[in-house]
Amino acid sequence: MTAVAVKYDELKALGVQVLSVSTDSQFTHKIWQEEELSKMVDGGVPFPMLSDQGGRIGQEYGVYDENAGIDIRGRFIIDPDGIIQAMEVLTPPVGRNVSELIRQVQAFKHVRETGEVTPSGWTPGKTTLKPGPDLVGKVWKQWKPDMA
Amino acid sequence: MLARVGKPAPDFKANAYVDGAFKQVALSDYKDQWVTLCFYPGDFTFV
Repeated sequence: MTAVAVKYDELKALGVQVLSVSTDSQFTHKIWQEEELSKMVDGGVPFPMLSDQGGRIGQEYGVYDENAGIDIRGRFIIDPDGIIQAMEVLTPPVGRNVSELIRQVQAFKHVRETGEVTPSGWTPGKTTLKPGPDLVGKVWKQWKPDMA
Repeated sequence: MLARVGKPAPDFKANAYVDGAFKQVALSDYKDQWVTLCFYPGDFTFV
């Protein structure tokens, strides 16, 4: 979670609220913040740390592991209408790539604001496409895989 | 309801640790904003 915390300013600038969730209690979150996270990130993690004891929230999001009694690594991007736009679920040993989270938020915001679509590997400033009858069968004229 | 892309995010309410205080946080508190919800296996794990 500290990897998200160090890029929090970038997420905040994009208007993204971060909520972290685990099956630990809010009391454990407090001690983790004080004993460890605050030593990895200045001031500790700046976002709410939610307690999902019993795994009810994790079950609703399909990330609760009943045998282990934990929420596995799941990341969801939710738009201002409350619609899930993206999800990524990983087993515990592999951490997330926060840069990819930021890229996806930038892409979803761009799509929402412009109605354009973003091809594979898009980052801000790169070519976007305007879907419509004229584009059918003609994507190759505007976009090639080496632009990804 | 199970979470799926393109579908409404299931609402929830949870106890939370926020800025040195204990609070109740609901997903619906963040209506009209972009939200990233990050689940992780547990405090004090390594990655």
